[in-house]
Amino acid sequence: MEPLVATSIHDIKNSLHALSSWLGEAERQTPSPALSEARSLANHINGQLVQLLALYRENEGSLRLSVDDRDLLSFLEELRLEPTGRHDGSITVTYDLASADALGTWAFDAYQVKLILADALRNAVRHARGDVRLSLSTPAEGGIEFQITDDGPGFSEALLSGEQSAMSTSGSGLGLRFARLIAARHRTPDGRSGELLLDNQGINGGARLRLRLP
Amino acid sequence: MIDLRGKSGLLIDDIPEMRSALRIQLADAGLEKCDMARTIKEAIERISTNRYDLIVSDYNLGQGADGQQLLELVRRKQVLPMTTAFMMITGETGYEQVSTAAEYSPDDYLIKPFTAETLRSRLERVLERKAALKPLFQQLGAKGDKNLALEACATLITTQPRYLTDILRIRGQLLMDLGQTEQALALYDMVLSQRATPWAEVGKASALAAQGNSDKAQGQLQHALETYPNYLAAYDTLAQLVEKTDKVAAQAIVEQALKVAPSTQRQRRLGGLAMENKDFARAEIAFKRAVEKDRTGFFKEHGDYAGLAKSCSEQGKFAEAMTAIKGMGQHFANSPELSARQAAVESQVLAKAGKTTEAKAALERALAVHGQSPLDPEAALEIASACFANGDSARAKNIIQAVAEDHQENGGILAAAHAVFHAAGLGDEGTAFLETTRKNMIRLNNEAVGLARSGELEQAITMLQAAADRLTNNAQVAINAALAILMDIQRNGMKRDRLNKAHAYLLQAHRANPTHARLPEVAKLYRTLAPADAAPLQIG
Repeated sequence: MEPLVATSIHDIKNSLHALSSWLGEAERQTPSPALSEARSLANHINGQLVQLLALYRENEGSLRLSVDDRDLLSFLEELRLEPTGRHDGSITVTYDLASADALGTWAFDAYQVKLILADALRNAVRHARGDVRLSLSTPAEGGIEFQITDDGPGFSEALLSGEQSAMSTSGSGLGLRFARLIAARHRTPDGRSGELLLDNQGINGGARLRLRLP
Repeated sequence: MIDLRGKSGLLIDDIPEMRSALRIQLADAGLEKCDMARTIKEAIERISTNRYDLIVSDYNLGQGADGQQLLELVRRKQVLPMTTAFMMITGETGYEQVSTAAEYSPDDYLIKPFTAETLRSRLERVLERKAALKPLFQQLGAKGDKNLALEACATLITTQPRYLTDILRIRGQLLMDLGQTEQALALYDMVLSQRATPWAEVGKASALAAQGNSDKAQGQLQHALETYPNYLAAYDTLAQLVEKTDKVAAQAIVEQALKVAPSTQRQRRLGGLAMENKDFARAEIAFKRAVEKDRTGFFKEHGDYAGLAKSCSEQGKFAEAMTAIKGMGQHFANSPELSARQAAVESQVLAKAGKTTEAKAALERALAVHGQSPLDPEAALEIASACFANGDSARAKNIIQAVAEDHQENGGILAAAHAVFHAAGLGDEGTAFLETTRKNMIRLNNEAVGLARSGELEQAITMLQAAADRLTNNAQVAINAALAILMDIQRNGMKRDRLNKAHAYLLQAHRANPTHARLPEVAKLYRTLAPADAAPLQIG
């Protein structure tokens, strides 16, 4: 049996699942932006709990990724259904799915990687002026690379230099630590591993996040 | 896009609120024709009597059962055709076990919480895939033909390139099943030259092992597990390989796999290995978990109670051992196998406790059942163990020989036969004994084929018929019996009663081993010789 921390997180997640279902039901009966925002928030909290659990397990030495083949196109189309916040329509999120279609399948932990990307998208949408883009490519050194760019002010110098651990000054840095951990834990038998790269070469000097998987 | 409206579904969930919530979501997605099942029992009944397009099951089904075990059961027993899609709904803990499931994976899984849109898109996707690959899935069931399945793969690779990975994965497994290990290895190497992926790593190791390169296969799997520590197929395959030379190491590997996914089947495997390693305390725990965890009764076997009783008795816990034997009787329907097994285990426990007279009496009860009805190999081998425990090794060997001859090509049963010797402290003798049995069977087949070739067909037929009528689970013997008869017809003209006999032996061979390598060739000969009004042969 897993210790109290892990089982408690599961309990909370179950309650959250029930809450999310009720919010969904309420939204079906009377749609409103507030309910939609609330459901998106419940989703976000769920993601944070999963991240917390992963970091806890890493600490305990019991974090194991579940890597198997996954169709990239369906993976990204599903990511598209995730709520990203800012429902006022001021931000356009563009998905470039051409290379996903060409690549077909890739072996990775789709559950954890989806959390990283959903989090990164939410973050990009929050800081963008008008444009967020997601694309997939195959870097020369092998593997695949998910790239999320926006046209906002970019990451702070403190974050890029490693002095600051969270994407926003108020954040705990949970999302970033989780993303780096999961990226690094993706490995291949020949010794390559994944990584998370951040810089300000996004749209018009905006933020760019690249998640590389081997 | 697939229209869900015309499709029929089955929803399995033990919690009423979850069931109705999911039912609404499914209806919203367009799946209106949907039966519901609350328990494993109901689910199995529904699946056995209806043909569904789609099954949606929650991972947790209560009573110590889960959707993965249900899926394995209905797929293994071939109650659920491969053309039916199986989707698993799971929380995060179940996800790790479902996403890396070894032999029988769901067609898709969905992690809670999910939105109605995600559910709909997944349902459409999974049904689209089933429809696109239908010619292949049709050949993967009980009535399917693996060679035709391979042909379907070749066609679908060009017509359905979107599902290339699925097709390659199935094609690799088919090549392995058909013994075409060279080609399987080439396929896995080709995939791995493009990218790293766990199924091809494990497939490659299996192909290497099948070619006799066990060391390299083991190294490959150990390496793969460092990279993919949740990949259950790698543990299962590695344990199988290691077991042949080092049962202690094999036990450790199964322990690791159990940490990833605690299934009844793995507990059973651990119990068996621990018994062979004389680690009786560990064996007791494993069998106890197998017996206690599954409160549905659908996943445990007679052997789990037998293992529990014997592991207890080896530790001097005779009262617990007798309770386990009683438990076996309470949990399973009455059958000759059950009463023979109970009596045989009881006899071993009593012998261990020094109650010689009672032990002999229990053995006599087991032998009486054995004399009256044909028993499955597990029950027969249990009686052999009881014979050894009562000092009757001649009778024990007779029973083991009959089982080994009948199941000569079944590695699992031969290993179980050896375990009986090993438990009696006669491991080396057992190895020699089983080797002699194997050679005798080869000699019988060779002699008969030799007789047939030199024109002594009548003698060959008499010999092979006698063997095939005795060894109904030995595909090789039945195929040779059919062949000798067909050669006689070819040479000396049609005899309808003999042709019917050949037909019966080919069916017998197919029942024993539907994928026997020589079956297609002899079946073809039958079809060439059989006149239009003879019984058609719908196999191979």
